[in-house]
Amino acid sequence: MTRQSTESDSIWELSATHFQRWRDGDQRAMDDLVVLLSPVLWQVVRGCGLDREAAEDVVQTTWLALVRSAEGITEARAVSGWLCTTARREAWRVAKQGSRQAPTDEDVLDRHLPDEPAPEHQVVLDDENARLWDCLKQLPERCQRLLRIVAAAPRPDYTAIASDLGMPVGSIGPTRGRCLEKLRVELVRTGGLA
Amino acid sequence: MNESHRQLDDDALLEAVARLWRQLDPPPPDLAHGVLARLAADDLELELLTLVESSDAFAGVRSSDTLEDSDELTSTFLEYVGPDLRVYVHLSQFDDGTRLDGWVVPARRLTVTLRDQQGSTLQQTSVDQHGRFAFARAASGVVRLTFTDEPPTTARPRATPPFHV
Repeated sequence: MTRQSTESDSIWELSATHFQRWRDGDQRAMDDLVVLLSPVLWQVVRGCGLDREAAEDVVQTTWLALVRSAEGITEARAVSGWLCTTARREAWRVAKQGSRQAPTDEDVLDRHLPDEPAPEHQVVLDDENARLWDCLKQLPERCQRLLRIVAAAPRPDYTAIASDLGMPVGSIGPTRGRCLEKLRVELVRTGGLA
Repeated sequence: MNESHRQLDDDALLEAVARLWRQLDPPPPDLAHGVLARLAADDLELELLTLVESSDAFAGVRSSDTLEDSDELTSTFLEYVGPDLRVYVHLSQFDDGTRLDGWVVPARRLTVTLRDQQGSTLQQTSVDQHGRFAFARAASGVVRLTFTDEPPTTARPRATPPFHV
């Protein structure tokens, strides 16, 4: 499996550039940022278990929050992390309202992942994705969702951004590690990982 | 396997997972357009504060005597109310610009933004623990102040109607 982070690395770089341009007064830069990062926020929010309609609404709310509180982001490079964190929290809030559950620790990611069945997939996957999906499906539901959320968000600044913004990362790190390990084992078992 | 190699493995694996989900559950094609439309309508979602008091006052007689002590020419006092707060604004006009002093009652953590009529941010500051905020040199023209919660919430920002600096 090849390292493919070049593409996403450049997304975060580009996000920072757009955001800085917007703060410097270029209104169109926000459009660019929205087009660039909305698909990322979609993955984060859907990973929190929201249906498509609710997910779309949360993505919009997240951007509203950014426009209203952009000055709170002192470092332009933090904008993508800020958006993902805000989207995640808003998604949990909405999911909580929907299910009438009241989780106690907002920052413990894995406890928040709703136990819902994975969506129906009519998509035709390419070979690599088909193999990965077969392995991923063997993981506990919570691991699947956690990896989906963490994979969509920027790395490796994830922890740094959380700390910059005074948002505890909670047990994301260790749980992420365990889930990745399970996935790796599954990939090795099925010969999907050399 | 050393730590950096292990890190690389994690990143590569996560990137593969991200790629999988992009294919498995792509967003609706008009997702970004929906966001942009919502942002464009954002101004409609402002909680409008109501002007309840307004006064213009000459700070002093325009004699050379008083102007030696202070070059403040005029001052304007504005008072706004909203459902959950009251805002006092004092504009002091000097030869080289206008100072804007404000108070929020009750004092609360808010971000104050001075915007032009198009809604673009001109200047930004925060309300301090006593409810005070200030723009030492406020941007001139027709502007409005918006107040958003700090840390950010999804509550509607409160906004004054436009006024002239």
